[in-house]
Amino acid sequence: MTRRIRIQNLGGAHAVILHRPHANVQALSRQLAAIGLRVETCWPDLGPEALAADFVFFDADMGHDAQFPWPAGQAPMPTIALIGSEAPGRIEWTLSFGAHAQMLKPVGDNGAYSALLLARAAYDAQCALRAEAADLRRRLDERRTVVKAVLRLMAHGKSESEAYAQLRQMAMAWRISIEDAALRVAATDGEAGDDRNRRP
Amino acid sequence: MVRRIEIGLLYSRSGSYAAMGEACLQGAMAGIAAVNADPALDLSFVPVARDPGGNIDRYAPLCEEILQCSGARHVVGCVTSWSRKEVIPTLDARAATLWYTVPYEGFEASDHVAYLHACPNQHLLPLLDHAFRSWGRRIYLAGSNYIWAWELGRLARETVDGAGGAVLGDRYLPMGATDVGRIIEEIRATRPDFILNSLIGPSSYAFMAAYRALGAQDAYFTPERCPVLSCNLTECELEALGADAEGMIAAGPYFRGAAPGWPVLAGETEFGSSFEASSYAAVRELARLLHGRPGAEAWPLARLLAEAGDSMIDRKTHHTALPVRIARIEAGAFRVISDLPVVAGDPYLTHPRQRDPGPALRVVS
Repeated sequence: MTRRIRIQNLGGAHAVILHRPHANVQALSRQLAAIGLRVETCWPDLGPEALAADFVFFDADMGHDAQFPWPAGQAPMPTIALIGSEAPGRIEWTLSFGAHAQMLKPVGDNGAYSALLLARAAYDAQCALRAEAADLRRRLDERRTVVKAVLRLMAHGKSESEAYAQLRQMAMAWRISIEDAALRVAATDGEAGDDRNRRP
Repeated sequence: MVRRIEIGLLYSRSGSYAAMGEACLQGAMAGIAAVNADPALDLSFVPVARDPGGNIDRYAPLCEEILQCSGARHVVGCVTSWSRKEVIPTLDARAATLWYTVPYEGFEASDHVAYLHACPNQHLLPLLDHAFRSWGRRIYLAGSNYIWAWELGRLARETVDGAGGAVLGDRYLPMGATDVGRIIEEIRATRPDFILNSLIGPSSYAFMAAYRALGAQDAYFTPERCPVLSCNLTECELEALGADAEGMIAAGPYFRGAAPGWPVLAGETEFGSSFEASSYAAVRELARLLHGRPGAEAWPLARLLAEAGDSMIDRKTHHTALPVRIARIEAGAFRVISDLPVVAGDPYLTHPRQRDPGPALRVVS
């Protein structure tokens, strides 16, 4: 499936450039303003207002973790590395920082627009994967609960495979994951052998 | 003392889009003649012309030659987007400026280019507004196989999808190719509401001839029911198209008879097409910016605009605010059917767009 990029929403977006005053910053600011972004530059640290930025461009040559108000790899917005030195140590730091796209210095006449689109796409993909991984991890953590629920259903004389099939059916009927269904079954204190509630 | 300032001209006078190059060149030459005849200016222009002959690989070397062999730092030129992108690195290296005077597909704002003609929020998007209202939202896209038609096609698709319409087909021909049979067959089979034609030169001529023949066989394919629309058709190609152009719809900032919308052309009246007008406007605007500023001819565009402070070229985007006209070819000439207000060029489409609401509905009792 091809992903369509919505371009209109770049208008009025807020970009922060973390770089010492330099011709590269001017060239980048010009490009971003022409595209329609609001640009702010800062150095040597990102202020708290940067947390609300839509994009952060940062100097990969002089950068270090303490400049940013978030842990390495946890930027809450798309980030773009401005790379001058291609020394392996600097690339290594850029990787650990978790840049979503890059531009090479000297920054010239173009390159910002594609960097913005690539960074946003990479950031969105990263967020989606993280959410999916968190959900899978949570479900993995409920393995013991599933076992418990199956055992509870087996206590009513069902075989293991019958009990598991019943749990799956309950999950489907309730429109929740099998782990969440297991949590409910395990929580009903031995009464959930049948999903028809036998309590008065 | 009149300063003699060399100025580059880089247009192809042969090859598949020679008619457009020729129109631009004529406009620029007329602009130079007008500047040189204007006693109010402290400068005169000396043209340094090179002809790439429609060969894409000749543009960068010939641009370099202009900048190296003469004092020119301003070049009026290029028709295709491909050729414009070819010369930008050369301009960049020498802090020179290209004055680009034909419509293009947007998504560029080079520090070294002044964009004098329309970009999509000034041609394609208002044209689609008009077309959706007049004919429908089921469209067919035909174009020449390079960035102009690709990007227009992508934008048209996005706009049509957003409006709940459908792209029934899209096909791209190599530049200069005239084998349009497949396109015609697909149009015959899909019966769209209208066709967006982004073909260039002989490809477009062949297509229009074949489409007219299709209309003779099947009355659905007439300009009234299923018209052909273009963002790159101007008067300069009407001779080559002849009767096949009848009923075609085009969008542009100027058609013959309308008031030219470039501020520097206030008071001027008649141009061959928007290509002559914009190229003429480029030369006049450059002269206006250089007048009274000795040595400014060597400045990069950004500095020139900053010092002048009042150019029609926007300082942020280097684009030009222009009126939007939609016109139909009737009896061999364009007749404007929709005349929309001046709108700033928005190359990245990042600003909210004022949609043309169309004619106000009145209660008729």
